Amino acid sequence: MIALSVVFLAPLAVMVLGSLQRPLQPPPNGLDLWPDPAEWANYPAVARFMPLGGLLLNSLLLVVLAVPVTVAVTSMAGLAIVTARGTARRLLVGVSVLTLLVPAATLWVPRVVLLRGVGLADTPFTVALLALAGTTPFYVLLFALAYSRIPRSLLEAATLEGMSPFAVWRRVALPLARPAAVAVAALAGLYYWSTFMDPLTLVSSPGNWPAALGLRTLSEMEVALYPIYLAAAVLVTAPALLAFGVAQRSFFSSVERR
Amino acid sequence: MSLVVEGARKEFVARRGARVLALDGVDLEAKPGELLVVVGPSGSGKSTLLRAVAGLESLDAGRVLIDDRDVTGVPAGRRDVALVFQEAALFPHLRVAANIGIGERARGTRRREVETRVREVARALDLEPLLGRMPDELSGGERQRVALARAMVRSPRVCLLDEPLASVDTELRLRMRAEIRAVQRSFGVPMVHVTHDQAEAMALGDRVAVMAAGRVLQCDTPAEVYARPATAAVARSFGPLPMNLLPAADGVILGVRPERLRVCREGRGRPGSVVAVEPSGEECLVRVLPDGAEQDLLARVPWADAPHPGERVVLAWRPEDEHRFDAATGARR
Amino acid sequence: MRRLPLAAPYLLGSALLVLAPLGLAAALAFTDYFGFRAPEPTGTDNLARLAGDQVFWAAVGTSALVAAVAVPLRLFLAVGAALLLARRRGARTALGRVAAYLPSVVPDAAWALLWLWILNPLYGPLPALLGVLGLPDPGFLTTPWGARLGLVLVMAFQVGEAFVVALAARLAIPSRLHEAVAVEGGSPWFAMTRVTLPLMAPVVLVLAVRDVVVVVQNAFVPALLVTDGGPVDATLTAPLVIYRRAFEYGELGYASTLSVALLVLTGIAAAFPLWLAARLAGRQRVA
Repeated sequence: MIALSVVFLAPLAVMVLGSLQRPLQPPPNGLDLWPDPAEWANYPAVARFMPLGGLLLNSLLLVVLAVPVTVAVTSMAGLAIVTARGTARRLLVGVSVLTLLVPAATLWVPRVVLLRGVGLADTPFTVALLALAGTTPFYVLLFALAYSRIPRSLLEAATLEGMSPFAVWRRVALPLARPAAVAVAALAGLYYWSTFMDPLTLVSSPGNWPAALGLRTLSEMEVALYPIYLAAAVLVTAPALLAFGVAQRSFFSSVERR
Repeated sequence: MSLVVEGARKEFVARRGARVLALDGVDLEAKPGELLVVVGPSGSGKSTLLRAVAGLESLDAGRVLIDDRDVTGVPAGRRDVALVFQEAALFPHLRVAANIGIGERARGTRRREVETRVREVARALDLEPLLGRMPDELSGGERQRVALARAMVRSPRVCLLDEPLASVDTELRLRMRAEIRAVQRSFGVPMVHVTHDQAEAMALGDRVAVMAAGRVLQCDTPAEVYARPATAAVARSFGPLPMNLLPAADGVILGVRPERLRVCREGRGRPGSVVAVEPSGEECLVRVLPDGAEQDLLARVPWADAPHPGERVVLAWRPEDEHRFDAATGARR
Repeated sequence: MRRLPLAAPYLLGSALLVLAPLGLAAALAFTDYFGFRAPEPTGTDNLARLAGDQVFWAAVGTSALVAAVAVPLRLFLAVGAALLLARRRGARTALGRVAAYLPSVVPDAAWALLWLWILNPLYGPLPALLGVLGLPDPGFLTTPWGARLGLVLVMAFQVGEAFVVALAARLAIPSRLHEAVAVEGGSPWFAMTRVTLPLMAPVVLVLAVRDVVVVVQNAFVPALLVTDGGPVDATLTAPLVIYRRAFEYGELGYASTLSVALLVLTGIAAAFPLWLAARLAGRQRVA
């Protein structure tokens, strides 16, 4: 178990160590990972190679727009899957499975054509439109899993009280599925913070890119400058790690049966 | 083949650090060829006791002996004990035959031998036509019989049953009781059967152990426990209806079974008024509040003699039907 | 149908962003379209071109190859971690679960930059480590097979989603089934191979299918940023070909043909395992 954790954590540790080494050195002789002295100046230096501030702002805008929409859409759809019967249920499950199995590359071209047609391509928030489809059916599944543990009689009682489906969702089901909501919010936050392929294909002006896509320009840098681009990678990764750290307990408890 | 439990203690740490004493010094013995029923309300520690005997739960103190061998520290698989779970615990991906034989396969018996063993046990339990089915094609009763067969296939030293009939409907439960008895007789294995249903305990057990709050209150034949309950708590919990308890003088509590309490229109006895009358087949359950008392008493009377609610009556019982318990300790006097 | 209003946003969004684009791709696949003039129907010309498109078929082969190595490796890690970390409580379990998910939290581009350095022949720690251990350096960014191996390595760690689904499947197995095996004297190996894994099989199969899609897709980022399709097109995967056709050459019509071809190929690859999973799951409904 410890060996397993080491395997998974090693690349992250290496990333931080690499970001603290001195740039523009001759290739090392043998394995020398420990930075001595730590070169903290690499972090401020990132700003000279990419407009980090503006890009981070774009990323933040994307997360703030897309996460609430994703949570709303998927939590409603999850409840619909749990409570629906027959054709309606089959339709929902069918659409979800299809979406899971369509390679994203298949959708690149037609999505761009479609969004250009309605004038929604190439804005900082274009990628957030994906939240309207729930971002990924995986989140719908997470909600469905959480709802299926709520006693059915509770939902039926609420319906008998004369609550509309919307009210049952808002006042009964969603509050009882809080861990799932936190988990989906965190995962969606991570998704939009990390998204690379979606803005790469949908957003052509570099000024409208989120930070993760901004890293692309660094991949063409001189290799001796690797501490700088690793520092940029750490800067973009850190908020994601932080968000996951906060949400991990809810996330794993939403998976566990009680 | 016998089972002895000595001074078993087990404490659980519940949520927020609260400690729960599931077993508080339990002594128990199942003699060779005996069907011992452990009966008690949920949370009384009876399932923990069973799991400790099986080796699925470790004890904080005390010993478990099977055939005079101390198995307290022996892992579950080496105790030669069989366990039938509440919901049968059949493996959903295996056919009935494979489910019955899985233990033998787990212990490395050869496939041929396992097949023969499975056939023998299946014949004894009338399961032969089901051997090729999947568990989700079985009824509740069939599932439990398969679970029973799985327990019997290894000829265990002790067979443990954890509320096997809890999820079976009434009619089937009656038939399954007989079936369990028959299996126990024909295999001659000591069985420990855990249940919260006192009717089941009375019908099934050679002896019953009445448990509450992690202790065994009394362990004796069903007839004896019914006739001479060791404590007031046993008197309340064991029997078709809870015993009526009335405070009396000298720190004594009097007990009378509802079946033995007579409701008269006149005569000597305790006067009171009828609070409620509840039909129950051939008979009625009558609640009577004696004058000056706070607790009403329950009586079972023939339908024809039933009084009306509000009617004045007199309660009487024969002296030999009277039980006496200590008011402070609850012990029989 | 009473509660369908709740599903309306999801269905509508999926229709607009998944189903409509799929339809549009199918239509554009039979046209010449460069984005500035209306699409021009060309009948089956694109199909003929597809049939003879060596670069695309080679890329499909590369994608299949990478998936064939990476998917079993990823599933082994994800399912293995799920089995090891299925115990309920304990700080170590919690820590292990976080560790197993953490690489998936790193943005793909940052992850790619990291491996761009790790695999570098001059500066990278991995070739250096292999040198220290006295192992041969396969030339991760310089030789065709080394680059493919590098691509697999980059893909191997980010298995968070599969890990979580496998963990949920493992935790959904009632504990009394494992207790029954323990009472019968079954070894941990017996319990895992005869009970745990067979019960998880339908989920693992679905995961395998999903992972093929994920690997084929996500190999795009390292293939673009780390190896740039090279050397000599060794890591030119199918999505990278589609991307170049569409966004570097602007051939939106023919890129649509390639997109639909990729979808059809994925569908064929997914059909059998999905059918098998449905059959297995149907047989073992836990009553």
